[in-house]
Amino acid sequence: MGLFSRKPKDNQREDGLGISRKYNLLPGKCYIVEESPPDLSFDAFVNILSTQDEACAKVTGLAISRQHPDMIKQKYGLERTPLFWLATRAGQDVIAPTNLGILTHTIIKFIEENPCGVILLDGLEYLVSNNDFNKALRVVNQVNDHVAQGKCRMIVPVDPRAFDPKELALLERNAEKIFGAQARRA
Amino acid sequence: MIELLVRVGFHDVAEAQDFDEGAAIFRKERPKISFVDMILPGKSGVELTTEMLKIDPKAIVIAMSSIVNKKMIRESLDSGAKDFLLKPTNEIALGAVLAMWSD
Repeated sequence: MGLFSRKPKDNQREDGLGISRKYNLLPGKCYIVEESPPDLSFDAFVNILSTQDEACAKVTGLAISRQHPDMIKQKYGLERTPLFWLATRAGQDVIAPTNLGILTHTIIKFIEENPCGVILLDGLEYLVSNNDFNKALRVVNQVNDHVAQGKCRMIVPVDPRAFDPKELALLERNAEKIFGAQARRA
Repeated sequence: MIELLVRVGFHDVAEAQDFDEGAAIFRKERPKISFVDMILPGKSGVELTTEMLKIDPKAIVIAMSSIVNKKMIRESLDSGAKDFLLKPTNEIALGAVLAMWSD
């Protein structure tokens, strides 16, 4: 591909924590999690990265989020996982919300280099507000094809209040839905 | 947390605010499974875990915290906690822990 992408650093695997796997997210699947804030999505992402996998000994992750990488590192203890900030600032680990080409290519490159990896794409509402829904949907669908082929897992938290029912249906068309009721917190 | 536990089918639940109350309730009630926040007023969750397991070595203790502090998680597992839950937790994570560790 002739597109640019953001390059994650080497040695991206997190140390195991000795805790159990709590989320049975299947390889090759995209999961749309209806929730706000994206606590369940981050918990699942960190839990998968910190535990052994049946298919692959250790899983590598890629997170793209509206939250600043320093905040994610601090809260979730991620030391090696590449984290990209969806923002309009310039910087090495920043992806502009309007640059869907770089965003898509960064994720696809990660999938090609990390079979069985796990991707967290947080900030779909922000992508929609900076582009339009159909363009953002195309990114999800395009990446989803690579996720299926690369036996990766992708977690996409969405705030259901930000989408109309038709848009939610289109997002969930080729994905597994995790219901808001399951994301109820305590 | 209590509301979530009730929702996943656990109705006999007690709650404590700190180390002393936690240890006292644990001594009295002898719960099979306990969820211990690692950050408590006064003594830490690791100390409470150690105390609970001194009282009942067969008790199941699950550590909880609102941040993933790897050092703290390892300390809690070393002190005898069986697993870790990130706060705020949810039905899926809680259900998985309960399925794994409760009867």
